[in-house]
Amino acid sequence: MKRSFAVMVSAAIMAALAPSLAAQWDLRPQAGVPKSSDGKVNLAAPAPRQADGKADLAGIWMRSEGTEKPGGAPAGQPPLGVFGNIGANLKGGLPFQPWAAELSKKRIANQRYDNPDALCLPQGPMQFHLDPQPREIIHLPRKTLIVHESNYMIRTIYTDGRRLPPLGEPQPYWHGYSVGRWDGDTLVVESNNFRGVQGGNPGDGWFDGNGSPFTDALQLTERFRRVNFGNLHIDVTINDPKAYTRPFTVRVEQVIVADGSEMIEFICHENQQFLKLTGRQ
Amino acid sequence: MRIKAAVVLVGVGLLLAGRPVVAHHAFSAEFDAQKPVKLTGAVTRVEWTNPHAWIYIDAKDETGKVANWGFELASPNGLMRSGWRRTTLKAGDMVTIEGSGAKNGSNNASAQSVVMASTGQKLFSGANPTQ
Repeated sequence: MKRSFAVMVSAAIMAALAPSLAAQWDLRPQAGVPKSSDGKVNLAAPAPRQADGKADLAGIWMRSEGTEKPGGAPAGQPPLGVFGNIGANLKGGLPFQPWAAELSKKRIANQRYDNPDALCLPQGPMQFHLDPQPREIIHLPRKTLIVHESNYMIRTIYTDGRRLPPLGEPQPYWHGYSVGRWDGDTLVVESNNFRGVQGGNPGDGWFDGNGSPFTDALQLTERFRRVNFGNLHIDVTINDPKAYTRPFTVRVEQVIVADGSEMIEFICHENQQFLKLTGRQ
Repeated sequence: MRIKAAVVLVGVGLLLAGRPVVAHHAFSAEFDAQKPVKLTGAVTRVEWTNPHAWIYIDAKDETGKVANWGFELASPNGLMRSGWRRTTLKAGDMVTIEGSGAKNGSNNASAQSVVMASTGQKLFSGANPTQ
């Protein structure tokens, strides 16, 4: 309940901000956005469906600013992941293997210099989900795409029934290799073939700002469920026995952007000063 | 209740100050929150670029010597969502900027607030050291 309230207030804040944004944006309101009697977007309206009857996850989504205390997730719900530390709300923290805990400490002590976000490289899968910049989900006949404004990246989720490839084939990807299937109204996405810490770039294998690592053994299962028109829940199960002593699940909550604003181009290398200011260029 | 209070407070803050503008990079790698910088000067250049916008001003130090300082802001997309445009600041505008100095000792800083000297209008908050 607490989290639901937080999400509702967060959504209300976004809705309240819309008029001020409307004065400055060239907004392109979409058809089919449910409105309340006061003319505002009705975030609690039923989730839409695609033409074939499947749930429709399409839209531009911002992360929810809802918070919770460590160990305080409602019963039966995974703890909320946090951009800076995906294990912040896990009771006892992340179940690191010893070397993984050491690597995270080293990355933090090293001022997070090699955070792929800072280096304009693709972020890790949880960084992408939790980044404060929006992302757009697009359904196509054989695949679903997630276009991330952050570092302007595209992730492909194949929905044509194919299976995951053997590990290492065709090659490890920054975004991993993802296949999706529908379980009722939930899109279940399984991924492997990530470039983990073995990838050779210091920006490889970062789950969050703390540099919580992942390896090439990572198997990710994400369950995308659009709760209603305005809210998307993604329960992410991380299974990486090389880096963590057990699988664990965290929840990502996102809120629809329905004021007619769009994604904005973000070409990260345009004027990259980070390397210069940190003495590496 | 704590969550409610926190969220409401954040909400009030957002409504008063506009949406928070988020730093793209690890703040602590580049800037030192313990090195506050406050300078007033004329804008010489605006770089409306990714991953961060930069503004440069000619500012006098305590000895009266003029030096050109660069201030890192948030990314243009974040600034746009806060209501700003690349033309919001122009060369010649007098501004007072407060922020945190670069760790490498160069004339660069991360801007936390930019105020138009002529009107007192607060333009934007830039990078957030807590991000």
